[in-house]
Amino acid sequence: QPAGQTSQFFVPGEKQGSNFAQPGFQQAQPLAGQPLAGQPNMNQLTNQMGTMNVGPGYGFNTQASSQLSTVALMGAAPRILDLEAPPPSINLPANSSITNSPHANCDPSYKRSTLNAIPANSQLLQKSRIPFGLVITPYRSVKEGDEPVPVVSDSIIARCRRCRTYINPFVKFVEGGQRWKCNMCFTLNEVPSSFDYDSQTQQPVDRWQRKELNHAVVEYIAPAEYMVRPPQPLVYLFLIDVSYPAVQCGMVATAATTILESLDRIPNDEGRTKIGIITVDTSIHFYNLNTASQEPQMLVVSDLEEPFLPQPQDLLCNLKECRPTLEALLNRMSDMFKDTQSVGNALGPALQAAYKMVSPIGGKILCLQATLPNLEAGALKPREDPKLLGTSKESTLLQAGSSFYKTMAVECSKSQVCVDMFLFGSQYSDVATLSCLPRYTGGSTFFYPAFTAAKSEDALKFAHELAEFLAQRIALEAVMRVRASKGLRMSAFYGNFFVRSTDLLSLPNVPRDQSYSIEISYEDNLTIPIVCFQTALLHTSSSGERRIRVLTLALPVTNTLSDLFLSADQVAIATLLANKAVERGMNSKLDDARDALTNKCVDILGVYKTHMTASSSGATPNLQISDNLKLLPLLTLGMLKHVALRGGSQIPSDLRSYAMHLFSTLPSQCLIPYIHPRFYSLHNMPENCGTIGDNGIEMPMPMNLSSERLERGGLFMLEDSQNIFLWIGRDAVPQLCMDLFGVSNYESIRGGKTTLPSLESDFNQRVNLIVGKTREMRRSSYYPQLYVIKEDGDPALRLWFLSHLIEDRAEPVMSYHQYLGHLKDRVNSGSF
Amino acid sequence: MNFEEIEDQDGIRFSFNAWPASRQEATRAVVPIAALYTPLKEREDLPLIYYEPVTCKQNTCGAILNPYCQIDPRGMLWICPFCLHRNQFPPHYRDISNTNLPAELLAKHTTIEYTLARSAQVPPIFLYVVDTCIDEDDLKALKDSLVVSLSLLPPHALVGLITYGTMTQVHELGYNECPKSYVFRGNKDYTCKQIQEMLGITAQTMRPQQPVRPGQPAPFVPTGNSRFLLPIQQCEYTLSSILEQLQRDPWPVATDKRPLRCTGVAMSVAVGLLEATYQNNGGRIMLFVGGAATEGPGMVVGADLKEPLRSHHDIEKENVKHYKKASKFYEGLAKRASTNGHVIDILGGCLDQVGLLEMKSMVNSTGGFMILTDSFTTAIFKQSFQKMFDKDAEGNLKMGFNATLAVQTTKELKICGLIGHAVSSNKKTASVGETEIGIGNTSAWKMCSVTPLTTNGIYFEVMTQQGQSLQPGSRGLVQFVTHYQHSSGHFKLRVTTVARSWAEGSSPIIAQSFDQEAAAVLMARIAVFKSEIDDGPDVLRWLDRMLIRLCQRFAEYRKDEPQSFRLSENFSIYPQFMFHLRRSQFLQVFNNSPDETAYNRHVLDREDVNNSLIMIQPTLMSYGFEGEPQPVLLDSVSVKPDSILLLDTFFYILIFHGETIAAWRNAGYHEQPGYENFKELLETPAVNGQELLMSRFPIPRYVVCDQNGSQARFLLSKLNPSTTHASGGQYGNAPAGQAIFTDDVSLQVFMEYLKKLVVAGTS
Ligand SMILES: [Zn+2]
Ligand SMILES: [Zn+2]
Repeated sequence: QPAGQTSQFFVPGEKQGSNFAQPGFQQAQPLAGQPLAGQPNMNQLTNQMGTMNVGPGYGFNTQASSQLSTVALMGAAPRILDLEAPPPSINLPANSSITNSPHANCDPSYKRSTLNAIPANSQLLQKSRIPFGLVITPYRSVKEGDEPVPVVSDSIIARCRRCRTYINPFVKFVEGGQRWKCNMCFTLNEVPSSFDYDSQTQQPVDRWQRKELNHAVVEYIAPAEYMVRPPQPLVYLFLIDVSYPAVQCGMVATAATTILESLDRIPNDEGRTKIGIITVDTSIHFYNLNTASQEPQMLVVSDLEEPFLPQPQDLLCNLKECRPTLEALLNRMSDMFKDTQSVGNALGPALQAAYKMVSPIGGKILCLQATLPNLEAGALKPREDPKLLGTSKESTLLQAGSSFYKTMAVECSKSQVCVDMFLFGSQYSDVATLSCLPRYTGGSTFFYPAFTAAKSEDALKFAHELAEFLAQRIALEAVMRVRASKGLRMSAFYGNFFVRSTDLLSLPNVPRDQSYSIEISYEDNLTIPIVCFQTALLHTSSSGERRIRVLTLALPVTNTLSDLFLSADQVAIATLLANKAVERGMNSKLDDARDALTNKCVDILGVYKTHMTASSSGATPNLQISDNLKLLPLLTLGMLKHVALRGGSQIPSDLRSYAMHLFSTLPSQCLIPYIHPRFYSLHNMPENCGTIGDNGIEMPMPMNLSSERLERGGLFMLEDSQNIFLWIGRDAVPQLCMDLFGVSNYESIRGGKTTLPSLESDFNQRVNLIVGKTREMRRSSYYPQLYVIKEDGDPALRLWFLSHLIEDRAEPVMSYHQYLGHLKDRVNSGSF
Repeated sequence: MNFEEIEDQDGIRFSFNAWPASRQEATRAVVPIAALYTPLKEREDLPLIYYEPVTCKQNTCGAILNPYCQIDPRGMLWICPFCLHRNQFPPHYRDISNTNLPAELLAKHTTIEYTLARSAQVPPIFLYVVDTCIDEDDLKALKDSLVVSLSLLPPHALVGLITYGTMTQVHELGYNECPKSYVFRGNKDYTCKQIQEMLGITAQTMRPQQPVRPGQPAPFVPTGNSRFLLPIQQCEYTLSSILEQLQRDPWPVATDKRPLRCTGVAMSVAVGLLEATYQNNGGRIMLFVGGAATEGPGMVVGADLKEPLRSHHDIEKENVKHYKKASKFYEGLAKRASTNGHVIDILGGCLDQVGLLEMKSMVNSTGGFMILTDSFTTAIFKQSFQKMFDKDAEGNLKMGFNATLAVQTTKELKICGLIGHAVSSNKKTASVGETEIGIGNTSAWKMCSVTPLTTNGIYFEVMTQQGQSLQPGSRGLVQFVTHYQHSSGHFKLRVTTVARSWAEGSSPIIAQSFDQEAAAVLMARIAVFKSEIDDGPDVLRWLDRMLIRLCQRFAEYRKDEPQSFRLSENFSIYPQFMFHLRRSQFLQVFNNSPDETAYNRHVLDREDVNNSLIMIQPTLMSYGFEGEPQPVLLDSVSVKPDSILLLDTFFYILIFHGETIAAWRNAGYHEQPGYENFKELLETPAVNGQELLMSRFPIPRYVVCDQNGSQARFLLSKLNPSTTHASGGQYGNAPAGQAIFTDDVSLQVFMEYLKKLVVAGTS
């Protein structure tokens, strides 16, 4: 693929080219008097091109190690394009893999390490101060054009008899190919005879064609010994709040319609999928979906003290068989409760009942909740207290307000039950407490503050996200374990799961595109040249097969600090740090979390200065860091300014809790823009932007997040994977207003949540395509909401938009420039 | 004195129609002064009055103007015969004169019915409580019967439906979107308050803070009342379709278990629902039960099939796990239902017991119906159930609701109590006596349901001490006032005022006024009432003692000369009644299940004199080739090979073919020409039997059997064993009738003993 042909950026796992010849490209300036190692920019460029040309798989680089290039941070805008760059190359010795397949090492979209060269001992790691961990998105979605995960379907699973490692491209065949040597523990294992001979067809086969020897990411169809019971069918139990607020805001009607319209999209390959519906207000309503009359029967249980199932069967029903009854129910649902007066909600008892219903099989409970549960078990109080916001006690609002939900979650996890939370609230929703259920059961949380279906944008966003969520081909009854070469240990886990034993993660459901971070520590020095991390996700697929997804990542071991800096992956580091910061902010204090982030930055910069530059001690006029870490301070600042962690007393705890939830579940591909949004200038974008090119819709170049970029007559777009903002300057010319919004002038533009009209004008169509592309380019179910921000419009909206421009100074947090100054002072004073 | 004519007029029969004038003389008469009173007795010429009754204004009296009052038309005064208070007639009686008397003062109008101006705010309520732990056939049949019954209800009647099995479901009939029901655990003892809260019928529904959507009318807020109990004309479609779709209890039942059946919770919910919504409005809870409760409060037996249902023996030996607890539970419900004015009926359809013994208080305290059949598929069930909804000439159901019976006496006579299906109203007036018989210490009783057949036994005692002079020819008065809600919605007041002469102890009038039939039934009620409390043998001894003493008082005999013993005609068959009563299933319970005993006793306490006598001493008709069918002795001598017997025990009608008749019938003679008379002989008893069936409620069982057939035992067990397996050999003759395998004494032997004991004069 010739370079420079397209203007796409790197999106892990997607086909792409690169184009660096765009305006706005800022090169780091070498500083006089400071010798920099090598010729960074040219070297790096070649490096990246080389990596990209490997193609979709992102293999590993067997070329000689690149040299460390140091860049100075101050005095120039950060080169944000590199946020999209691939991680530093993995420089394994030649012939490390037995097949030399380009897919032999793990694609970073599935698993990436914060360090692509592993320190030989903990002292070296300590010395670098770089956090060491893995970011794993084992069940990421496979979109059109993506390479599907190869499947080994012959049930031959070769594993090390000692350490249970799955055979992978980094083992060695010995003794004439009779045995294989495990690359984790070096035990010799028999090669299964079926690697060479197919006893069924009685034909010899070529072991070198085996997928597990060529692919780092591979999936096995598991034989019976991987099952404790036959694979469970998919079970979707909807638990819908039908109290007055839920009905009034239109949630119930929208949900019913969306579920109805999604019935064909719910995975049901084998015709075994089961569906159930519970509605709840002051009572729990069950529905018998298997009736001769095809009319649902509503069974009300008001015994909230001891909720029970009113029937032994037919409350969960086969989707195919009960389809007419289910449709009848969904069609009637909004009428059924339209006159409700009930302001009570018994979510806790309803969950207990739902658990009774689902737990014999396992499955998914989708809670659609619009009020704070206020009856019996799990009742919550509106505990939002503005006096606590911004104080050291703020964390208490971010912790669960009731132990009920965590206890429930642990029970659910044991029975392979996953709970998802869709929260709608015009008032306090206690996201902190209710998100506990998804957190420990492998679920997802969606939050729609101030939802009202009367606003079509709100209805659309929820309907879209729910529909996508239902259509997801999820994995079920899963356990995940990460094995590593001797000497390394998985020591801390972040994400939505329950840690069943020391390192076994239990995931009743694995939704698509959820990310898990794992911190690694040392048990011993590494005496081997290559370490291996193998993730095995044993699960049941949506098609009812027991499968094992195996991700193998092999990384070289190094003794030098410079290798560490050269191989450090700033995106993975930021992801891991985001998870750690969230945990700290919840369990301790937000101040501590923020301090830890800055301290980590100072540490790394300090170590670099001390050991990697000439000016090991004493003050320096600039901050220096290796090129591949140069965006770490910017990402850190982004986190400090993010709703999840920002100081001050303005952030309602629901919003903060939700942002924290996203921090710990979003894959890097979504998390990085969430921390560092993409910002485009649209009024003056090149002609080809917003048109369909060879690689789909052409996007404009992203810009630095600084209000200096704003022009009074301009149109700008900013997106952070959750929201899209269109900023329009107050001097926008009537033509722009007409072209884009179909109104005659700036004054006629309505700000706020909106749907862009579809007009004849070329500009309108291009912007619509860019918005559309933005909504689909990420791996997630989220459907970003579009807001129009007028420069002189609603001050709250305006401030919200501006708060994303993280390079600006936003009281009391420093501008990027000031932040670098602060870091420099700390580094120079040696206070790291 | 024709007792039956009096009964036709006033619905009443007294044991004595002339009363011993002193307490001592009354005690010597042995059988208490008592009456069987049928307050709503149907009478074609019943005077119907459409104005309010005039009542005595004396503080505590309240007696109603009647033919026994002295009046002073000129002074516009009347004297209350009970308290002697002089009352002013109300102004609109100003035209009264000795020749122009209002109906209530006419001598023939000792019984009169006022239709009061006030009528019930709420039409009668029918709450069906339906067991779903029954097999498919039964459920199907029951559903059909229930659907049919809807068309028999008055269109304005309110109906509701509760179904139950492992759990209890209350169906919300006012919900239009889909069938909806509220479910209760079957194993939890819900308090009344919990039940009402869970149904959302007490708690004031919380209003949302926000105003309702502007521009739209305020939403219709269904209240508890309208959601679960709706006029049949409004919900017949919904209710029929729910009934038609009703499925068997869905919970699995292991082969070694009984289905879980939470009858207790279902009834508790039913009582609670009516209690919360329509307290003191007439209504009935109709329980359709297909087996014993095995779950939750009120369970009668465990679910394990290894655990047998309790028998009389188990109860006697106190070897019963659940009996007392369950009885207590149902008694609690019975008390609440009766307090609230709600009737409970139990309609059983099960070969085995359903726990009637434990549940009987619910029916007996509220005046409900009990129907006990083998299955809901039987004609007996279907017809009996339909008969509950019999209507009068105006098309109104023959059932009154929420009735009170108040009794007033002149001061010489006091009330001991009532035996029948009622509860005390705790009304302690001057008429209340010292001795307690049945439900005492009150002069008024509540009957949640009363039908034209409902008959109560009311017992009195004489207060006058010996020597206190009575004016010659003076009379005692009793006034019965029954207030009830007619099924048309009107409140009605039935007033019966009767007067009987006082007589000196030596007067023969007392003996002549003895109604041995009424007396036998009244004594039977006491005996059964005692049996519920005391041991069986004690009751039998009591009955014997009473019989001996009665004979000693009224028979003619010479001391120690049994052959001199004579009873006058109106005492002559009394000992025979007692003989059969002693042998009856009411007192000899061990051949019956506890449920059957509860059922039999329930029926005895409800019926009038004639029906009760049939129960005590069944009637036997003999059909032969010669002469008309004729009643024959209930005796083994009546069994003849060439005759057909028709036995009526009230509970069943049995046709018994003698050996020869059966053989001829089996040979098919009746189908051959020339044997028309035989054909007619075969048919006549069957036709008569059917007539009896149709006239009775509940429909009796119908048994056709042949001599020596297995079903013949039903007949033989009722016959006086004058020819037993033992007696045959005793005289060296072949027995004249059917030999009966029993060690019971025969009536003849019984009478010999009686005579001996009476003349011995030692007791
Ligand atoms: Zn191994
Ligand atoms: Zn009086």
